[in-house]
Amino acid sequence: MDGVHDMGGMHGFGAVVEPGSEQPYHERWEPRVFALHLLVSTERLGAGPGGRPTREEMDPAEYLEASYYERWIWSAERRLERAGTIVPGEVEAMMERLRSGADAPRQDDERLARRTLTALRDVEQLDPATSARFGAGDRVRVRRMRPPGHTRCPRYARGVAGTIERVHGLDALPDLAVYGRETAAEPVYSVAFRSADLWGAGDEPPFTVLLDLWESYLEPA
Amino acid sequence: MSDHDHGHHHPREASEVELRARALEALLVEKGLVSTDAIDAVVELYENDVGPQNGARVVARAWVDPAYRERLLEHGTEAIAELGFGGTEGENMVVVANEPRVHNMVTCTLCSCYPWPVLGLPPTWYKSPPYRARAVAEPRAVLTEFGLELPDHVEVRVWDSSAEIRYLVLPMRPAGTDGWSEEQLAEIVTRDCMIGTAVPVAT
Repeated sequence: MDGVHDMGGMHGFGAVVEPGSEQPYHERWEPRVFALHLLVSTERLGAGPGGRPTREEMDPAEYLEASYYERWIWSAERRLERAGTIVPGEVEAMMERLRSGADAPRQDDERLARRTLTALRDVEQLDPATSARFGAGDRVRVRRMRPPGHTRCPRYARGVAGTIERVHGLDALPDLAVYGRETAAEPVYSVAFRSADLWGAGDEPPFTVLLDLWESYLEPA
Repeated sequence: MSDHDHGHHHPREASEVELRARALEALLVEKGLVSTDAIDAVVELYENDVGPQNGARVVARAWVDPAYRERLLEHGTEAIAELGFGGTEGENMVVVANEPRVHNMVTCTLCSCYPWPVLGLPPTWYKSPPYRARAVAEPRAVLTEFGLELPDHVEVRVWDSSAEIRYLVLPMRPAGTDGWSEEQLAEIVTRDCMIGTAVPVAT
C-alpha cells in the first residue's frame, strides 16, 4: 500500500535528534500499550491483518499526527473490533467510567503472565533457500508496482537496478500472507543499491542502501 | 476518514490518549482476556532484562574471541543464542561488521523493525518520520546530527530492514582498549553503536 508510512526519501520531517528522542517512550501508558498489543496477538484476541498492516490503513493525516504508541492503540482497537472481541463504543464507555472516578479493574493470572513471556522466547527461523532464482552478484531490477494492500517493497526502490548481496531464506510473501491468502514461501534477498541509482547525484559521497526484498518483487536486470 | 467516529478529537490532549490506553487495558482485563500481571511482566522484561546491555555483551565477546566473531558474522541468531539471547524480533539475525573503510547503519523506512532481544525497544528517533525518511537518502547528514563525521573514503552501507531479518552492527574495537576485560569493553558499546549512528570510544 503506497501510504504515508512508506517514508524512505521523503523531505520535510525535520531533525532526527530532538530533546527526548533518545528514550524508547515518555509516558507510563506507552509500554503498557506495547504489552497489550503483544497480548492481543499471542492470545489471538484480534482479527484481520496484523498490527503493522492495520496501522497502514490509518488515515494518512492521522497517522502523521499520532504518536508512535497512539498508532498501536488504534491498530489494537481495530483488530479487536474485527474479531468481535470489543464493539465500537466500548472503549469510550470505559473512558467515561474512568473519567468519573471508577477504579480500573485489576486481575492477575500467573499462568497467562508466564505463557506470554514464553511466547516472547519462541524462535522460528526462515527455512533455507535451496533453489533461489538469483544468486549473490546477480543484477536485478525491482518491478514497478502499485499494490493496494500491504507490501514490503518500498516506493523508493521500484524500477531501480541493484545487485544481489545475500540470499536469506524462504518466507511467505507478506502482500498475500498478512490477509491469510495462500502463498508459497519464496526466497528473500538483500539487494544492494548504489545511492546514485536511487537518488541521482547528491551532496554526499556515494553510499549503498541494502534492502531486503522477496523474489516476486524482482526481475533480472 | 471512516475511522473518525472512533472517538479521536483534534488536537488530542496527552491525557485523552492516556485515558484511552488505560480504558483499553481495563476493558480487556474486565472481560478476563488479559491480566494485569501479564502486562506488568512484559513491561518489566523490556525495562530490566532485555536491552542494549545484551547486544553490548555480544559485541564485547566478538572483540575478544575471533572464533566467536566468525560464528556471529556467519550465523547471527545461533551465535547470539550462545550468550542466552533470542526470541521475538530476533529470529533471523544478521550481524554486519564495521571495517576501516565500511560503516554500517540500520533503519526501517516502512515501520520500526528492530532487534528486540539484543537492543530492547527502539528509541523514539528510530521510529519517527525524520530517521525513516532520511537514513536511506542522506545518511551522512543524519550521522552528523549524532555527532559522527566519517571520512569521505568510508563507504556508508544503510540496511533497510524491510523483511523479517533483523540487523545488528558490530562496531570496530576502539584504540586504547588493549587488555580491557570483556565487561569493561561491553560498557563502551552503546545502543547507537549497534544501530550504527555512533562508534564506541575508549573512555
